[in-house]
Amino acid sequence: MEGHQRNLYLYDHFNARVVGVSRDDVTTLKYWGNGLGITFPLLSNITSFLGAYFDASPAGMPIFSRRTVVIDRTGIIRYVRDGSPDFKDILLFLKKLNKEGGKQ
Amino acid sequence: MIRKGSMILCALLAVAWFSGCATMGASKEKPYRMTPQGMVVWEDEFEFKPPPPDWKVLRVESGENDINFGFMRSDPGPFPSVTTFAYDEDPFGCTAASLEGREREFFKRFLFNAVLQFQILDRKKVQVLGGEGLQVDVEGKDPVKGEKVRARVIFGKRGGRIVGFYITQWRPMGGSYDLSALEIFDRFWGSFRFLKKSFYQTLVEGP
Repeated sequence: MEGHQRNLYLYDHFNARVVGVSRDDVTTLKYWGNGLGITFPLLSNITSFLGAYFDASPAGMPIFSRRTVVIDRTGIIRYVRDGSPDFKDILLFLKKLNKEGGKQ
Repeated sequence: MIRKGSMILCALLAVAWFSGCATMGASKEKPYRMTPQGMVVWEDEFEFKPPPPDWKVLRVESGENDINFGFMRSDPGPFPSVTTFAYDEDPFGCTAASLEGREREFFKRFLFNAVLQFQILDRKKVQVLGGEGLQVDVEGKDPVKGEKVRARVIFGKRGGRIVGFYITQWRPMGGSYDLSALEIFDRFWGSFRFLKKSFYQTLVEGP
């Protein structure tokens, strides 16, 4: 999350916004986000429907698996990667996507 | 649901990140070469004076909050006698505006796997990477495990982002530190220079 926070100015540059999604409750996320200095939205999804929607809910486990998803402005999922975010890969993809968007 | 969905879709592009457990990737081989002048050139991007040969190269594949590369040495004495130093392109914390702000954020998470009681030994301005930097010396103690660590952290800037160097020297509680390792570390960061623009600079400004 700190990595995304560090890259916010670059996301802005490429017309992207970031949100985090977690199964933790709102109060927990509020304290956690404040502790790290996170300023972008953290979504609390304790019922896990977003995890199911993005296939990030391991069966029988009360957590989300780490998954990065990029959605374009038409709502199409364009990028999915599992594990810790590869920030450079994400930024290169956003740069490419922004360039594509500029040509439309 | 509608509100959350619209938050995601109303943006031109959106990045969603789900929380979970960390993973580590595979490492590459020989990312460095030596120059005739005895300097190390790392991935054609960094140049620095290497430590003596008894220090082994340490590399962690880039990922969230992982160091870029460094060196480690097993020291005489019982566990956990080891010294490690590293260059970190993205040290803990988010603040880019001030070195002091980043220092506060950094020490919330530095060595977070160990439960340490930190004491600041020294804090001073230094010249690093051709600009103003901040040096912070700390000692952390774990009375339960009977271990202690002496660390020095250097914060500097590369373009608009803060980068860091740090050394940690672990010892059993009754052990004594070998402060000559700090001199080797100081030569490392003191000689460190960038041979090209960073990934982040290139991303926006071009090559």
